[in-house]
Amino acid sequence: MLDPFSLPFVQRGLAEVLLLAVGAGLLGTWIVLRGLAFYTHAVGTAAFPGLVVADGLGFAAPLGALGAAAIFAATVGRLARRGRDGYDSLTALVLVGALALGVILASDVFRSGAHVESLLFGSLLAIGTGDVVLAAAVSALSLGTTLVLGRHWLATGFDQHGARTLGVNSAITDAALLALVALVSVAALSAVGALLATALLVVPAATARLWTQRLGSWQLASIALVALEGTVGLWLSVKFNAPPGATIAVLASAVFGLAAALRALPLRARRHVPTAPAGAMNR
Amino acid sequence: MSAAATGEAGAAARGAQGEAPHGGPLVVARAISAGYGGAPALVGADFSVSRGDRIGVLGPNGGGKTTLFRVLLGELAPAAGALTMRTRCATVPQTDRSRLDFPVSALDVTLMGTLARLDWWRRPGRSERRRALAALDRVGLAAHDRSTFGELSSGQRQRVLIARALMADMDLLLLDEPYSGLDAPSAELITALIDDLAAEGRALMIATHDVEQARGWDQVLCLNRRQVAFGVPDQTLSRAVLEATYAGAIVDLPREGGGIGPGVLPPHHHDHGHGPE
Repeated sequence: MLDPFSLPFVQRGLAEVLLLAVGAGLLGTWIVLRGLAFYTHAVGTAAFPGLVVADGLGFAAPLGALGAAAIFAATVGRLARRGRDGYDSLTALVLVGALALGVILASDVFRSGAHVESLLFGSLLAIGTGDVVLAAAVSALSLGTTLVLGRHWLATGFDQHGARTLGVNSAITDAALLALVALVSVAALSAVGALLATALLVVPAATARLWTQRLGSWQLASIALVALEGTVGLWLSVKFNAPPGATIAVLASAVFGLAAALRALPLRARRHVPTAPAGAMNR
Repeated sequence: MSAAATGEAGAAARGAQGEAPHGGPLVVARAISAGYGGAPALVGADFSVSRGDRIGVLGPNGGGKTTLFRVLLGELAPAAGALTMRTRCATVPQTDRSRLDFPVSALDVTLMGTLARLDWWRRPGRSERRRALAALDRVGLAAHDRSTFGELSSGQRQRVLIARALMADMDLLLLDEPYSGLDAPSAELITALIDDLAAEGRALMIATHDVEQARGWDQVLCLNRRQVAFGVPDQTLSRAVLEATYAGAIVDLPREGGGIGPGVLPPHHHDHGHGPE
């Protein structure tokens, strides 16, 4: 039953997904709490042309992805400061532009061919040591930053004006959050690809939110769920010869659907706990 | 220290942490005007705030109450006049719906007040938790420290936000319409709390629409895009002042002590926004 996990390349994939779970699960709660799901999806997708360039020119994929994600995050940060109205639509524009640019670069400039699919949807069964080290480093950074800046992010999300009067510099702490989300998205690319990063970063945290009342328990549940869904998804993908990134994404969505349906059942009188409304940087 | 027309009020308000000399006013505003680029939202604010003062800030929506608070918080530099602040202020905002879905307890919210006192990288420790529990006890919510903020009543949420302001430990508290949406018993608890805090030597400025409530406080500041009046309620709240403040929404109401006096029709509470007034 557990035989897939005896294969070395599957073990590396498992190590990757378990190490990513800490960063992805932890930041996932901040993404859901602060309404950054769309930004997260966009920053992962924006990394795609960077991956294609890195693949074509033969330098480390995370560098290309990080460069593209950084340009995107800085652009969004600048636009966000000018007001919220255009933010969502501009994010969508940049997202579409980045995806199209990546496709053109892949097909006509670098002729990346078969690589495109693994760049878009990840290749958890072809993980290198560098990917595992990156996942570990990014998770450690997420944990450390959450311990220090978490209460600033929480206070800003709870009441931005009040937080400012208490001395929180939201501009700086929120920029750190956006940068960290970009970094974790890049680290997740080798596992689930540019298009499925939210399967690790958003869906498990949104699922755990349905069943938790406090930030601390939510964060622990979210980390555990990323680890569980990643492990089971990896096992299923080897067992049924399916692409691992997509398998994890389908599994995560199914678990969310199930959790939401169970939550809606009138088993006993539960108090309604809605998640953060969709949209940009929930104030 | 004085932040005058040149517009350094923000830095001045944040920098001033020293204690006021005993008996000296915490805040002195002289002919302050402020606005958001266009026509000033408030002209000629001229008042002082001392320890132990309960000051009712009266005026219609859009009368300049929020603008005044933003000036005192250092978020908005006065366009004219001189402002002397010998304290930082803590705010108690209205409790709005957007916070009800937040996964925080009453204690978590109270602990947010430590952000004003601790270095930015430090996490609240045991002594901060003790102080936060004491602050919750102070506002009568000792038994609710673990309750989810969104599940408390609106009066309890208001008191949690007062506890958060107490944790910030400032000498001047700005309360933004603390009575809006409260039933009578909850409102009485808030009033008693305001009295207690003033007796401890803090100053409180309370934006409110409740003229009758403000009659019981030490000073009233009447605003209607300009300062209409400032002074002791009994002498200040004349019919002429109320008419100038509320521009016509004045009716004769039975007074608590008997007789009939000028009062103000209660405003509609369903539509007060949070934008600049």
